Order: sequence, then structure tokens, then C-alpha cells
Amino acid sequence: MGGSDSHRRSRLAPYLLVAPGILWLLAFFVAPLVILASTSVGQGGAWYETYGLALGRYGPHFLRSFRYALAATLLALVLGYPLAYFIAFRAGRLRYPFLGLVILPFFVTFLVRTFAWKTILGDGGPAVWLLQRLHLLGAHGRLLDTSIAVVGGLTYTFLPFMVLPVYASLEKLDRRLVEAAEDLYATPGAAFRRVVLPLSLPGVFAGSLLTFIPAAGDFINAQLLGSPNQQMLGTVIQNQFLDVRDYPLAAALSFVLMALITVVVLAYARLLGTEELA
Amino acid sequence: MSDAEPRAGDSISRRRFLLRSALAAGGMALGSGLTSACGRGAGGRTLRISNWPLYIDGRTVADFERATGIRTEYTEDINDNAEFFARISEPLRRGQSIDRDIIILTDWTAGRLIELGYVAPLIPGKFPHKTNLLDDLTQVDFDPGRRYSVPWLSGMTGIGYNPEKTGRELTGVEDLFDPRLKGQVTMLTEMRDTLGLVMLGMGRDPARCTRADVEAAAARVKQARERGQIRKFTGNDYAEDLAAGNIAAALAWSGDIQGLAADNPGLRWLAPAEGAILYSDNMMIPKSSDRQDLAMAWMDYVYDPRHSARIVAGAPYLSPVKGAAAELARIAPELASSPLVNPPAELRARLHVFRTLSDAEATDYNRIFQDAIGA
Repeated sequence: MGGSDSHRRSRLAPYLLVAPGILWLLAFFVAPLVILASTSVGQGGAWYETYGLALGRYGPHFLRSFRYALAATLLALVLGYPLAYFIAFRAGRLRYPFLGLVILPFFVTFLVRTFAWKTILGDGGPAVWLLQRLHLLGAHGRLLDTSIAVVGGLTYTFLPFMVLPVYASLEKLDRRLVEAAEDLYATPGAAFRRVVLPLSLPGVFAGSLLTFIPAAGDFINAQLLGSPNQQMLGTVIQNQFLDVRDYPLAAALSFVLMALITVVVLAYARLLGTEELA
Repeated sequence: MSDAEPRAGDSISRRRFLLRSALAAGGMALGSGLTSACGRGAGGRTLRISNWPLYIDGRTVADFERATGIRTEYTEDINDNAEFFARISEPLRRGQSIDRDIIILTDWTAGRLIELGYVAPLIPGKFPHKTNLLDDLTQVDFDPGRRYSVPWLSGMTGIGYNPEKTGRELTGVEDLFDPRLKGQVTMLTEMRDTLGLVMLGMGRDPARCTRADVEAAAARVKQARERGQIRKFTGNDYAEDLAAGNIAAALAWSGDIQGLAADNPGLRWLAPAEGAILYSDNMMIPKSSDRQDLAMAWMDYVYDPRHSARIVAGAPYLSPVKGAAAELARIAPELASSPLVNPPAELRARLHVFRTLSDAEATDYNRIFQDAIGA
């Protein structure tokens, strides 16, 4: 009797263990999603009209969001990979202090950091001054309220999300494989290309997603560092929800954005072939 | 034309202003989560006020606390009417507290809140100085007889500019469309201010505007935005860009420039030749406030002409209180003659009020406007 009881309990255990997570997702992800979906198709005109408007009028915003997010992801990769590589392989005892420095900006509110960028990039700020002295920017050129500022802001905001996963995959990499490559007369470049890089791809994959997805939906950077001609979809959604209060349109825009991000992510997963994550 | 005489005395430094803007924006990002604070103080409870930045002098809050013993938390977290309305309307609809006992919003938003039944009526017995309200502000169509709201200050929407960056004096709305100012102009996210002024520039009257006028003005704004002429559409945060020298000219509220003088004494405010928009911002007590007595004590205090004059000395707008002008002449004679606080007849003749819109019109026009500003 007792034996079968404990047997049953152990069969139930996995379900009991996942139950809190599942309930959490049901209550705070699935339910709001359903409400959002019904909002997007309810009230006023037919649902396809709302979605038609969302795609028709805000097509440029969608394209811009993806363009900026893609640019920010690539920039974060270009900046973040060498940094992660350095911390994992060259930093030695300073590895943890360096990791700490990567995370340090998180101790300051995202919003305050973005405001700081407004000051740094402002027309009278140090960045414009320097670039004008170097003749990289015309006398009437500016940085604030341009696409450069928005993409730069996005890159800055999400850089740690690129560095940390890449670092994690480099750090756990088996060093003996690199030694083996060198023993087999691989140049350092070849060893990197054929051994280190492929083994760090899961980190690159995770980092790209962690950068791209939130960057595509971000609304603060475009709002504070961009002009109306740099508005991204997140800004539009925020504005439709909070100022215009056109809930169906805002909900439809959110759904289209989610769908497009999913498509992009799946395509990317296919491309990079990291099955365990896709 | 009227230039603001800068007075550094009660001004707010830019750093403080930036911090406040950041805090206000933080509040925005957090949605309706207004900061809550449990009160102590003489009555055991704290009076909580939300107002716009650069809208009070540096002494009044402390003086009020001393005079009444009511601890007061004065927050400058209103940047834009629509945005603030969006933050508070859901909890107010459900009858929940928004942790504010006085909110100060522009006429049309005040009208909407009153119509929705979110505002508590004022009790004359607890607010005896209410009789000091200027007669021409008593009969307003959104609150006949002022049963729910009293003006905090009135102001004019015109143009704030930085002569160093424009390279010349500006005279009218049309100057904002000068190609030499490309990318150095901001306009307001307040539809009535932006479209109203652009309409005036086009020779149309916002007090009698039709849908065609709204469309024409919106088209003008949209074209300028797409060409890159307009750098941004802002709430009260234009002040920060103007003070920092990021922009040359902005649609600006008349009294803000003085508050920025500490940082940038060259800034000027101008009532455009074509006309300016006149508005009032109104104090209201949310129905869900459990501290309405304290709120009315505050209203009564600031409706004393001496106290109203003190506020105007720090934020040069138009006082709605009888006798405040005489008091101001006593405490700040150089300001009392400024057109900002006492517009001469010639300027008054150029002030226009955006007409009251029906709900359907407001929604319709707002959609046209949002499209124009690319939001």
C-alpha cells in the first residue's frame, strides 16, 4: 500500500513541480494575451479593418523597428563578442571585476541612463563637440534626435544581453580543443574560426535573440533620442494605448509585432541551426 | 511682442529640472503607479499635489506647511494632459485612489474629468477665498459657476526661442517654418496648442475652427515634420531642450522661460504677431481622495491674493485671483508690469481660446493630429 502510494507521489511530482510555473504563465501570459487578442478584434469596425490599418498606416514603423533592432543587434555583436572573448580568455583574475563592469549599468535605472545619453549627445554636448572638431559632423550637424542616436541607444541598452550569453558559451568551452587545433598546426585565426567560433554560436544565438527581441519592441530610446521620423513601433503602441486610447488598434499592432518577431526568430533559428533553442 | 524679463531669484536650475523630467518620465513608464507616501504631519495626513514643472515659486509649499501645519508633497509630474489623463483615468473610473488630492489640468481635460464624474465638488464653506476668483473666469462652459474646479494659473501658448541659435528675433508663427531653422524647432503634443497656433499663423481662428481648418493645420504640421523641420513634439519637456541649446525655437508656455533663465538667460518668449492661445490650468480634487479638506485648505491659501502673487513671482503666469496684481506690484514691481503676468490690451486682443470640442470631434481631430505628428 505505502509503496504504491509513494510511487504515485513520485509520478505526480514532476507535474507538481511545473505547476507553479504553468499557473504563472496561464495567469500572467496566456490570459492577458487572450484579452489582448479579443481587444484587437472587438469594438468598432471589423477585425480585418483594424489589422489592415495597423499594417497599412504603420508599415514604415514596422520596417524601421526591425531595421533599428537588426542594426543594434549587429553592433552589439561586433562590440560584445570581442569583449566577451577578452573576459573569458584574457582577463585572468580580473574576469569577475570585468563581468561586474558589464552589469554595472543595470544598477542605474534604464530611464536615467537614456536621459544621460540625451545630455551626452545633445547639440552642445561633448559628442557633437568632438565630432565637429574631427570634421566628421558639419557645423549644423547633430546627433540627438537622429537614427544614429536611436540605434546607439538601443545598442548601449542591450549590450550586456549580448555579452553575457556569449561569455557563458566561451567560458565553458573546452580549452583542450583549442590546444588540439594548435597541435595540428592550425594558425590562431584558423583555430578561432574552426573551433572557438562554432562552439560559441549558441551563445551568439541566445545573445542575438535577447538583444533583437526587446530592441524591436523598445519605446524609450526612440522616444527620447529620436525625432518623430525615428519613431518605432513600441512608441506607437505606447501612444495608442496611453494617449489616443485606441485600444483595438494598439492591441492589433502588438499582435502583428509579436507575429513578425516570431517569424524572424524562427527563420534565424533555421539559419543558425541551433535546434535545442528553436 | 513681449519678452520675458528673466529673474533668477526663484528659478529652477536645469539639473534639477532634468532630474524632475526624468522622474516624471519614470512615472510615465511605470504606468499608473504614482508614488504613494504615507503621511504624518500635524493632521496625521499629507496633502499630495500634482502639478506641471516650472509652475510655482520656491517658497509657497513651505509657507503653506508652516501656516497650516499640513505636510505637503508637491510633485511636478504632469508633462502632458493626455498622458496624465491616461495614467489616472482607470483608477478614477473604479473609484480608486490615485494618491493625489489635487491635480492641475488644462481646461478641456478638466472638463472631461468633471463630465465623467471623477471630480469632487468644492465646498464654499471650506474655501472662503473662492470669491476672489476673477469674474471672467467664473463662467466657463466646462464648469459653470466653478463648482468643481478653480484655475491655478492662466497662461499663453506662444513661442520660446534662443536668439543665439535663431540668429535673429522672431515675430510670428510662420518663423517656425523658416528653412534656416530646420531640425531646430519643437511643437507641443497638446493638439489645441499646436494646431491652434498653426491655424492662427494661417489666418484661421481656433475659436471657430471647422474640421477643414484642423485638417489644413495638421497637413502643414505633417509636411514640416516629414521634411525634418520639426525636431520633436513634446510636453513640458521642451523646456529642457531649449535650455540645453538643442533647439532654437519651441511652442512654449509663457511663464516657463523665467524658470530656465538660471541656465540660459538669453531665452525669450514671444506672443506671435498672428496671435497666441490663452488657457487656464485648473485645480481639482479627485472624488476618490480621502483628504479633500486638506485640498480645500490649500486652495483657500493660494486664493489669498498675497499668496497668489508670491506664486506668480516665481512662475510669471496670469493669476486668476482678484487683487493679486496689486500684491505683485508690491513684492516684485519689475515683474508686475511684464506682459507675461499682466498682458496689455493690445496683447489681450490677440489671445484666442481653442473652442470646446464635442467628444466625437475631439476623437476625430485627435486622430488627424496624431497622424500629423507621426505618433
